[in-house]
Amino acid sequence: MNSYLYDGTADGLLSAISWILEEEADPEKVTLSERKDTLFEEGFTISTDAPRAESLFFRLKQHAPDAAHTLYSFMLAEKGEMETSLLHYVSLAFRHGDQVKGYLTHPAIRDIVNVAKKAGRELHRMKGLLRFEKLQDGAYLAKMEPDCNIIHPLAYHFSRRLRAQHWFLYDVKRRTAARWNNGSLQFGTIEQFTTPALSEDEKKVQALWQAFFKTISIPDRKNPRLQKSNMPMKYWKYLVEKQGE
Amino acid sequence: MDTKAKLQILSGAARYDASCASSGSRREGPSSGTGNTSTSGICHSWADDGRCISLLKILLSNDCIYDCAYCVNRSTNPVERASFTAREVIDLTLEFYRRNYIEGLFLSSAVMQSPDHTMERMVRVAETLRTEEQFGGYIHMKIIPGCSSELVRKAGLYADRISVNIELPSQASLQRLAPQKHKHAILEPMALIGREIATSLVERKVCRHAPRFAPAGQSTQMIIGASPENDFQILRLSQGLYKKMNLKRVYYSAYVPVTADNRLPALAAPPLRREHRLYQADWLLRFYGFSAEEILSDEAPHLDESFDPKTAWALRHPEFFPVEVNRADYATLLRVPGIGVVSAKRIVAARRFSPITPEGLKKIGVVIKRAKYFIICSGRSSEKPDQSPTVIRQRLLLGAGGETAVSAHPEQLVLPGLFA
Ligand code: SF4
Repeated sequence: MNSYLYDGTADGLLSAISWILEEEADPEKVTLSERKDTLFEEGFTISTDAPRAESLFFRLKQHAPDAAHTLYSFMLAEKGEMETSLLHYVSLAFRHGDQVKGYLTHPAIRDIVNVAKKAGRELHRMKGLLRFEKLQDGAYLAKMEPDCNIIHPLAYHFSRRLRAQHWFLYDVKRRTAARWNNGSLQFGTIEQFTTPALSEDEKKVQALWQAFFKTISIPDRKNPRLQKSNMPMKYWKYLVEKQGE
Repeated sequence: MDTKAKLQILSGAARYDASCASSGSRREGPSSGTGNTSTSGICHSWADDGRCISLLKILLSNDCIYDCAYCVNRSTNPVERASFTAREVIDLTLEFYRRNYIEGLFLSSAVMQSPDHTMERMVRVAETLRTEEQFGGYIHMKIIPGCSSELVRKAGLYADRISVNIELPSQASLQRLAPQKHKHAILEPMALIGREIATSLVERKVCRHAPRFAPAGQSTQMIIGASPENDFQILRLSQGLYKKMNLKRVYYSAYVPVTADNRLPALAAPPLRREHRLYQADWLLRFYGFSAEEILSDEAPHLDESFDPKTAWALRHPEFFPVEVNRADYATLLRVPGIGVVSAKRIVAARRFSPITPEGLKKIGVVIKRAKYFIICSGRSSEKPDQSPTVIRQRLLLGAGGETAVSAHPEQLVLPGLFA
């Protein structure tokens, strides 16, 4: 059984998979892991080749769009130690096409699909739970701390939705930001973040939302457990309606 | 009265409406405006009662001239009254939407002055949002029974979903409990909406730019337990609404007494279990290929208290089981108690690769707690074969897969339609 190593980057991972699929007779028999340069590490290191990584993704997208989408979501989760499963998944996806996602009795497929699902779920959740605040200069800012690295697809979602506004998304832990202004979307990192001043009416609007949030709930039916399972507490930090409770 | 005080009264009065869905419509936002809609719908928060908040759900006014026995807003009940101006509703919607609090607006109202007067003001809100403000988000509007068909048509052009509450399951009950509302004033707009939706779909096939009419469809709501109709009557009514009027959804709300009135039954508790069973039966109608006549009959017109309607059907039809999961087609799998749409799809997808064993079923995430009495897997069964329905019934009731308590399905936390 052959073992391979790569440099730990996303491009490195995909170029390694691409290389193995071409060179190995039975890719489902080999392992792939991140190179840590430890004493007992064994394996052949595959070098990173960004265009090759990209081309693998596009070939998969043509062959099995659903499976490519799963791969994309899986990468958002930034999950380590699952490289071998991913390799087997991609190999099976080229073999079976999109039907592969139904092959849940296969452990590698189940693992990859589950992680991808988790990332997809968080992305969907954040489309609802993200909160913008209006700043003094009229722009809007939303801060977040998601588990997965979803700022790209999330910003794309809002670029179709809040088109007439000037807005920013900021991933506090990763220090990455997205900006939408006049029809163009940009991404970058922010090293020193200082919270800008809010617009004058911001607190008033927030108070209205808090009032609505309170009265829309049926008083004799409090169900904090159901609320928390639908809306885990880790997301409450930036929720206007959950402040000062 | 300031906007916040109004908001408290008029969202408090709207909270008992069952529907909050923001799904079923897909609109690209106008480039100079605000908002779009997505097919799957998005929840923006969950209230303290655990229900999803997706729309700014409010009444335009709770100042009602009607006197429906079951409703807090009826004219003879001394509650504080409030009415929004159109501008207030528009500003709230936009400010909330820009901050991503909501998917859009759900606007209903009590009857102010007259049905036409009320509907006109509601339509004006939607019209201003769509045209002047270029709002592309979701709008759900209630139709006030008795308003002109011109206003119904206009509402459908601006809203994603429109709905007319049927209120009570029969004309006799309507006459007794909501004497100012007439059956034809409810059914006529429903039929009109159904026709307009169908026409618009046809026209849009020919021309992409033909106007859309309520693209997310039409829904309705009825109160359960305030009047004497049985479950069979109710299910047949729903079946008719789905088939003949093209409804997307029928919502049921267990009657909760808000005041003593000798026209209303005295209930110890709202019939939540019954409401729950009706929702389950409704699912069987819409997604599982069952008919009302398969679920109930004139001889047995009530849904089983202890079993969900699918299990009850299965126990009456032992000849249908056991089902071999490796061979049964999708429709047959759906008839197995405990196997839902997701599980049935997973089974169909997984057996392409290799026959499914009982262990394999668990691996793909199919819960067999209840299903195990009704299936075999590659010829094997995890239960003794040939159990009689009586035995299965007992085992299910003993907790081995039976339902012991009413699960708190979020959409059931519903009180009567407190408004038109
Ligand atoms: S149900 Fe509607 S019409 Fe009847 S009293 Fe209540 S608000 Fe008025």
